[in-house]
Amino acid sequence: MTAALRDPRKLPSLIATVAVIVIALVWLGPLIASSAPNRLVQSGITGLLVGGVYSLVALGIVVINKASGVFNFAHGGMMMVAGFIFFSFFTTSNIALPFALIYSLVTVGLAVSIFGWRNLLRQPSLIVIGVVAVIALTFVLTLPGPNYKWIRGIVGGAMGAALLGLAVERFTIRPLIGQPLFASVMMTLAVSLILNGTTQLIWGSQPQTLLIFSEVNPIGIEVKASPLRFDTAELLGGNISVERTRLYAFGLSLVAFLAFWLFFRYTSVGLAMRATSENQMLAQSVGLRVRMILAIAWAIAALLAGVAGVLHGGATNLDTNMQYLALRAFPAVLLGGIESIGGALIGGLAIGLTEEYSKLLFSGDIGEQLAPYIVLMVVLVLRPEGLFGQKRIDRI
Amino acid sequence: MKKAQFLLMLVLLVGVFAAPALAQDDAGFPDFIQHTECEEDLTGQNIEILHFGDLSGSYAFITQPLLVGLEDAINYYNSNGGVCGATLSQRFDDTAGVPDQVVATYDRFSTEDPKPQLLVLYASGDAEALRDRVAEDEIPVLISAGSVPGLYGDDGATPGWIFATNPLYTDQLGSFCDFVGNDPMGVFGEGQSIGYISWEGAFGRAADTEEVWSYCESVGVSHAGSEFFLPTTQDISAQVQNLVDAGATILYTNSLATGPALVAATVVNLGLEDQVVLAGVNWALDTSVGLLGQATFGSDGLPSTDGLFGSAPFYWWTETDQPGIALIREQFDAAAETAPESHTPTTQNIAYLLGWQTVDLYTEIYIQTANRVGFENITGADIKETIEGLDYSPLGLTTINFQEGRRSTSANRIAMMGYLAEDGASMADAENPPMVVTVGERQLLVPINVALTDFVDAPDLRPGGADVPEG
Amino acid sequence: MSANIRPAGVFDTGYAQDIALNRTRTDKIQAYGGFVLLLLIPLLTVAGPLGLNIVPQSWIGIINRIGIFTIAVLGLNILIGYTGQISLGHAAFMAVGAYSAAFMVRGFTVGDFAFPALPFWLALPLAALFTGLVGLLFGLPSLRVKGFYLAMATLAAQFIIPWVLRNPLSTWTGGSNPLQVPFPELGPLQFNSSSEMYYIIIPLAVFMALAARNISRTRVGRAFISVRDNDLAAELLGINVFAYKLQAFFLSALFAGVAGALIAFEDNTVSVASFGLDTSILTLGMLIVGGAGFPLGPLFGVAFFRLVEDIVIPFLKDTLLRPETLNSIAQTLPFLDAVKINSSLDPIMFGTALIVFLILEPRGIAHRWEILKISWKLRPYSH
Repeated sequence: MTAALRDPRKLPSLIATVAVIVIALVWLGPLIASSAPNRLVQSGITGLLVGGVYSLVALGIVVINKASGVFNFAHGGMMMVAGFIFFSFFTTSNIALPFALIYSLVTVGLAVSIFGWRNLLRQPSLIVIGVVAVIALTFVLTLPGPNYKWIRGIVGGAMGAALLGLAVERFTIRPLIGQPLFASVMMTLAVSLILNGTTQLIWGSQPQTLLIFSEVNPIGIEVKASPLRFDTAELLGGNISVERTRLYAFGLSLVAFLAFWLFFRYTSVGLAMRATSENQMLAQSVGLRVRMILAIAWAIAALLAGVAGVLHGGATNLDTNMQYLALRAFPAVLLGGIESIGGALIGGLAIGLTEEYSKLLFSGDIGEQLAPYIVLMVVLVLRPEGLFGQKRIDRI
Repeated sequence: MKKAQFLLMLVLLVGVFAAPALAQDDAGFPDFIQHTECEEDLTGQNIEILHFGDLSGSYAFITQPLLVGLEDAINYYNSNGGVCGATLSQRFDDTAGVPDQVVATYDRFSTEDPKPQLLVLYASGDAEALRDRVAEDEIPVLISAGSVPGLYGDDGATPGWIFATNPLYTDQLGSFCDFVGNDPMGVFGEGQSIGYISWEGAFGRAADTEEVWSYCESVGVSHAGSEFFLPTTQDISAQVQNLVDAGATILYTNSLATGPALVAATVVNLGLEDQVVLAGVNWALDTSVGLLGQATFGSDGLPSTDGLFGSAPFYWWTETDQPGIALIREQFDAAAETAPESHTPTTQNIAYLLGWQTVDLYTEIYIQTANRVGFENITGADIKETIEGLDYSPLGLTTINFQEGRRSTSANRIAMMGYLAEDGASMADAENPPMVVTVGERQLLVPINVALTDFVDAPDLRPGGADVPEG
Repeated sequence: MSANIRPAGVFDTGYAQDIALNRTRTDKIQAYGGFVLLLLIPLLTVAGPLGLNIVPQSWIGIINRIGIFTIAVLGLNILIGYTGQISLGHAAFMAVGAYSAAFMVRGFTVGDFAFPALPFWLALPLAALFTGLVGLLFGLPSLRVKGFYLAMATLAAQFIIPWVLRNPLSTWTGGSNPLQVPFPELGPLQFNSSSEMYYIIIPLAVFMALAARNISRTRVGRAFISVRDNDLAAELLGINVFAYKLQAFFLSALFAGVAGALIAFEDNTVSVASFGLDTSILTLGMLIVGGAGFPLGPLFGVAFFRLVEDIVIPFLKDTLLRPETLNSIAQTLPFLDAVKINSSLDPIMFGTALIVFLILEPRGIAHRWEILKISWKLRPYSH
């Protein structure tokens, strides 16, 4: 603020900021004041919980963008397919051995051949690790009965997501290295078409109930966890209810977020990925394997998509509309800044809150269609690099 | 697992309703199917049921069972002599819900030689987009349920070439208002107010018109407000609470599958079960809603979608004393033996029934038209003439009457979604616990629909319609 | 690129000859002859005056759609291909063009003031102009925002414009319901079928293509390219970057407006649903597949998409992938069924075509076309 006052060039943007805030207060103030206090609190809570999933989706898009500069339009499709894969392993208790074996073989094969098949021959240790992994994974996947559904679901789902990410990178993105970025962006669109078709082919189009946050009700049926209700009638003039499915999804989103943040911050692969995202050629010249890092980035993004897909599916339903959910996380990515991991978190939560509050204050579809983009427009005009994005200095 | 799931449902449902085996000889239809007498033997001819729409987009879950229904029905009709000897077949294309692709696909079909004589569409939006073109090309169209602009044009008074075999969405809401106003069950009482909550888009908004609300006012039901959400939504508690705060005692939804299930679950989660009643369009009573609704149970110990009111313009799977339903059930079971993957519990839905209804309607339309002008001379205009004079009940499932310039049927009744009780014959309630079926590793309840009224004419609520209150 | 390779023995003797698009008589004959042949196509269908059945009637509709979308993608090419500004809101501008044209030919009232219904030939350019101005408005963020952030700002247009059409303007647009548009009339001529609309769409598409081609060859076009290649350097050379970016947005929206208006006249109906984000992404895909920054890129891209969707996939379904074949596939693979295969066929085939194409020709069809053209001109020394 003081810097802006001293530097006259920053004055217009300061004035614009103040003007936006004043307009917002004058316009929205009376609307907010006329809402019941419990509704305001309720929308705040729901907005945060809903925003958690957006954050996770945004993080997946940011990871790909940081590693390869591609804006991934297939993220929603990856969420959907990974979610359905988890669903299948979670609900099927007798996986056939041949299927489990082939599935493990393909996944492990793609994973150990990140460097290319030729490198595999040079490093026999990788083959040994691969064989052990295949056996172990096959064993886990064929564990019978409902008692093991969690481990089966998580392992099978994670494998599916990793397989998806690696395959997308290997067969569609890698051939385009060195080609215009546009081609890669278009490629993600083509991939999203294929993912849609594959889902229709294997799982059909019926919405499925994914009972991951469940409880057994008195008549012995497994249902979604019931909501928490807080009696705040005296304090706020009405009750607050918090859906436990969303609460768990939100908590797990934060855990996943933290885990990936630590990964990027402290592990050598994570650091290498950050280096690659800064400058691919420079990274290659200091001995980082850029190709491997790209593959890992896609696998991680697919895992993130899978986690988001499963958590969103658990909170609502698994259906083919999920592929369009990622579109709604786009404002979150840009709001936070496309390079920023922390920004993805804040951006997601901000979009969630924006949606919920505009649903509360206006009727119609403003909350879901318009408000996030209006907020995004305002933020972009005031801060063209997003809230936490890097300010790039262009040189000729 | 799926097979087991399916078989269990099947055994249960068949056992419960003890479908009477139908006496029929190998060739020829059972007695209750009363087609017009054939005047011409059409053996060797083929009649193609041509249809297209969204098979892979957001409405895919409702359209896919239609394909199965059509296929099974076509097989059955062909093996019983077809249309005066002519065989039936189906051909279709996928438009993935992209409006531009709808027009492109239509262009391809409509310019074929010979020109199609009759088309089937699924979505009211597609019908709206193609309304002028089919009129220009003189190709009549059958659709399940339509909107006012699609059937009657912008002014609501120009009947086109598209015929809906269900009542208009506006008329469905109107007849629900009648039901609330008359209150034959004595559950509503005075001063009811409807909050309209639906999907965004032409379909979701189709019943939210001034004519409907003024009609509802006239029968003592007020309009609390309208809210819309996207099929991709994460949460609609704000919208539901807005409507309840505005005084809604009934939430009416013009959505399907996840839509009504989400509204129901949100009502339970917000603890509003005692304050609002759920209602919806005919699609809201679909099996998919009944299965999805079981993820959340209300405080009465029944799924959140239990007690959802809706329009039921044709007989339902559980009404096996109706011979048409019994026949469809029997054929479904037989087909499930050979193709279990495409005959799951979710296939036992509205669209499958519509498939059968469509095939029977085609048969009757073609017999009548061939009798009048001769099979070789049939044009789209002849078919339209037949449809305009039609007063027919396909398989006895519903009454179709397009006389006097109507473009949609008017026979409607109100039904309620419920779950099968332990005794296997009645609807579960608080005292009468529901029957739990173990399917695979999941415990399921069996959704059923119970008709609450007889078929009556739904009010005519298009702009300038006969039942729109003056002023 | 090809302009550098001149036919042997042809020398420019004047400026006019130097900048001519058609340098030689052969070029001229090819161009005009091609145009005349194009105009003859509808006469060869069943509906033509001679009742010939040489060209299937369905091709006319397909060619019309190719023409319309080529105009839209030409606009996108000016913005993305030449100026380097990504737009994800192109369909929204088409919607503006479609609705403003529809309003003008229908006539509309605001309060007590009734705007008269305009004839079609006046409504079309006015609608295009108005769309251009709307495009200008949404180009304003390009003052500060670049790259993907700009893409998102245009994505905002993709959500804001349909919302405005659906809600505040619903009195005039009919909300989500479609709006009827009368047939275009030009004096005694009535354009009420695809074959007749052909004679509006195709000449207009050729005209717009020539306009786009010429814009790219003028000072404005060169300024666009300099902004795309390095906007800082362009600014240092004295080019008003912001003004040129706005011009690009204006022109791009203008083309979109023409395309939108033509869709309204061709379909005789407009609805907001036809201009969703998927249409925006589709136009972007057409440009990339065709080749961004090439004058012929839009035509190639649109033709590729339309031919695959409307001719190749239906043909495959009628021959290789008939329902009987699918049924037998479904019977061999127990977890599949025919319905699932049917509904997944279109997205899978289309996605596969795109992937194969992008891997084989990531720079677009027009790039390959240029290479072929040069090697043809250099034959037999094409290497």
